[in-house]
Amino acid sequence: MMDVGRHSKINLLTYSEIENIGGYIGNFQVTVRKKARYVDEKECNACAECEKVCPVVAADEFQEGFSLRKAIYMPFPQAVPSVYILDDKDCLGHNPIACGKCAEVCEKNCIDFDMKDEIITLNVGAIITATGMDVYDPTEMNEYGYTQYENVVTSMEFERLISAGGPTEGHFIRPTDRETPKRIAFIQCVGSRSNSPIGNPYCSNICCMNTIKDSLLLMDHYPGIEITVFYIDIRAFGKGFEDLYQRSKQAGVRYIRGLPGEIFENSKTKNLSMLVEDTVANTVTDFEFDMVVLSVGVIPRRDSDTIQRLLTLSTTTDGFFMESHPKLKPVDAPTGGVFLAGCAESPKDVKDSVTQASAAAARAQILLNAGKISVQAITSQVLTDLCTGCQVCVKVCPFHAITGGDAKLKIPVEIVEAACQGCGTCAAECNFDALLMRHFEDKQIISQIDAITSENPSEKVVVFACNWCSYGGADLAGLSRMQYPTSQRVIKTMCSGRVDSKFVLHAFEKGAPILLVSGCHYADCHYIDANRWTVKRVDKLWDKLERLGIRPERLQLEWISAAEGQKWANTMKDLEKMRAQVTQEEIEYTMKVLKEDREKSEARKKKKAEMKESVKEIPIDVIA
Amino acid sequence: MEEIDYKCMHCGNEYRGSFDKLIPIERTCPKCNSNSIRRAKKKPRKP
Amino acid sequence: MSNEKRIGVFVCECGSNIAGSLDCEAVREYAEGLPDVVCSVVNKYTCAEPGQQEIKKYIKEYNLNRVVVASCSPRMHEPTFRNCVAEAGLNPYLMDMANIREHCSWAHLNNWDGATEKAKDIVKVSVARTRYLRPQEETELSVIKEVLVVGGGVAGIQASLDLADAGYQVNLIEKEASIGGLMAALDKTYPTMDCSI
Repeated sequence: MMDVGRHSKINLLTYSEIENIGGYIGNFQVTVRKKARYVDEKECNACAECEKVCPVVAADEFQEGFSLRKAIYMPFPQAVPSVYILDDKDCLGHNPIACGKCAEVCEKNCIDFDMKDEIITLNVGAIITATGMDVYDPTEMNEYGYTQYENVVTSMEFERLISAGGPTEGHFIRPTDRETPKRIAFIQCVGSRSNSPIGNPYCSNICCMNTIKDSLLLMDHYPGIEITVFYIDIRAFGKGFEDLYQRSKQAGVRYIRGLPGEIFENSKTKNLSMLVEDTVANTVTDFEFDMVVLSVGVIPRRDSDTIQRLLTLSTTTDGFFMESHPKLKPVDAPTGGVFLAGCAESPKDVKDSVTQASAAAARAQILLNAGKISVQAITSQVLTDLCTGCQVCVKVCPFHAITGGDAKLKIPVEIVEAACQGCGTCAAECNFDALLMRHFEDKQIISQIDAITSENPSEKVVVFACNWCSYGGADLAGLSRMQYPTSQRVIKTMCSGRVDSKFVLHAFEKGAPILLVSGCHYADCHYIDANRWTVKRVDKLWDKLERLGIRPERLQLEWISAAEGQKWANTMKDLEKMRAQVTQEEIEYTMKVLKEDREKSEARKKKKAEMKESVKEIPIDVIA
Repeated sequence: MEEIDYKCMHCGNEYRGSFDKLIPIERTCPKCNSNSIRRAKKKPRKP
Repeated sequence: MSNEKRIGVFVCECGSNIAGSLDCEAVREYAEGLPDVVCSVVNKYTCAEPGQQEIKKYIKEYNLNRVVVASCSPRMHEPTFRNCVAEAGLNPYLMDMANIREHCSWAHLNNWDGATEKAKDIVKVSVARTRYLRPQEETELSVIKEVLVVGGGVAGIQASLDLADAGYQVNLIEKEASIGGLMAALDKTYPTMDCSI
């Protein structure tokens, strides 16, 4: 920590928040708000004179509220930077001049009540997101009585109570009578591995080992203390972990597989009792303890949605940031030039955080070292003569890569090529064919549909599959030798968001009996949320088909991940069954109706264009 | 979060499910697990 | 220079992975009759050195300006064949892969005729697409040699130090008044049981 404060290459901005991030890989512009701490960071020498005279006391957040601090304070003794901060909400007031005692004693005159927030702009090539995690708050779990019973504490509070730098200077006591407890229980998986709406379904990864560590600390400090750990499974999977677990057991810590149903407090002794079923021994025992520690889980940072929005990141179902690829790109964010480190990506311990941070730093260095970045040629291009400036594409682009455009002034939009990731949603949504999705152009895809439907179309199922998930799911099905009917013909797009309504209608018009649009599950979309537009489009297509008297069921939608080979194979079997039920008359009717509908809309467009032309031809003075 | 009508385009199952404009959730048929779920055309019924 | 499309089709047997379940020779013959296809070849392993040499040889010999490789998934070998055609002077985006292994031979192991017909169709679709492919150039952008690290917990600290030690300017942003994050609040850390700060 100290090294960071001293390093000449590190510009440390504490008490600062990111306001905005613009730009793209290699060229980000970042706006930072450095909040006023009312103490000059360069001048303060942490002499502590101000703290002595400050009349205001507040709960000390660092000590989990177990002790008090002043309104002007040092966050904790080893803080970096080693500088005081004045909390303007705690300070005497809205009118600090009323007191000003701290400013009077400050020899270096570094307290400035008029200090303002500072806005700083940074230009960077890469961003490492290490926003960390929060700790689960077990208040909602009524059965454990946290906040109701004083002697029930969380594992974070335990850390402060046992720490030499804590409120008790390392003398471990229980809150009610300030005596060292003789019988302590640890309850595992509090807020983790839950299959009820309370808590989270995932394993928080660190709590088992943290409890084992805590048990050994207690055994070291207070030989003879009775420790009982209630658990579902002890997950000691890392290097040296099993060894520590065995040491804890040998030291006499009792491990019981089973969690208490409810905790009761004895109102006189303030001791805590609970009934626990030991699922190994098949016994039910009534326990009494002096103190209970809830081994709380890890949750995504409560304020992480800000950075998520600014960097267009996505999260997995558990709320942690999603990596680019779970195995091959575990520290790259899906947004180019952004890397993930630490618990922002998933719950992890210190060692894993450090490992991932070094990996993220190395990945960032590859980019910085090269000094240039080659952008894949699969990006969108604007055909300026066709663009009306309607800005539909601006709205749908998940990467904010399309800017400008004005429908009134007929100014076409512009594409920031470096930010474009190539999903093609813009091209699919454009009503004027004004966006050209390179390498996945309309006519390239239409030619594929034509090739499929040129011979015996009624025997084939047209399948659109996204490059990352569904196409991969099909690959996995093949790799696993899962057998399915031969009727399907795959057209690959980068994202299901590229599947234009006109592709679907064209395929039906050419005689396709059944059509499938497939893409990534919501949480896995490689283009953040481009597949949400796929759903909207398919919804509209179902409406349109129904309106035209075509069975909407002939258009199917499935999310198939690269890991779901089985789902792919099953879907193909299902589609073949559906295909067999589509009659020749139905196909012919569809072809006729869609042809008429297309010709009608083309005629309308033509007429509209002619009208516009004629308006243009009228000289201005005639209108005037 | 409001509740709206959905129809599965795969098995025909009709059901009511939650809908949030801001946080779209993946639609899955509770009966056949298909994702071919169509939003009911009509506005949701007022209770 | 004419707009004439000259497409070469390379059908891979992939040992017996493809040739064991469908008739590669029939696919090759069928491809030969498709519009703009000027040559069609069967290889034992197209991705191996001799297979790649053959692609390069045919590009020169037949003056090919489009290539279709009917083999495995592009997720497997697209970079391989893009490099291969680029070495022969063709723009890498003028090569397309027809997946007749994962999507065909392996999925229809016991349906020789069905798999063969499907493979022909897959090649036809790829040839149709290839006729409309255009050369693409990848663009290069410069990179600002400075980094932003968001969050001053253990991960942010480690990443900052690594990058700073490597000589890059690092901007470390922390919301709280001090760096350290949650780690600073821990007394000792496992597995070594030492101090966290």
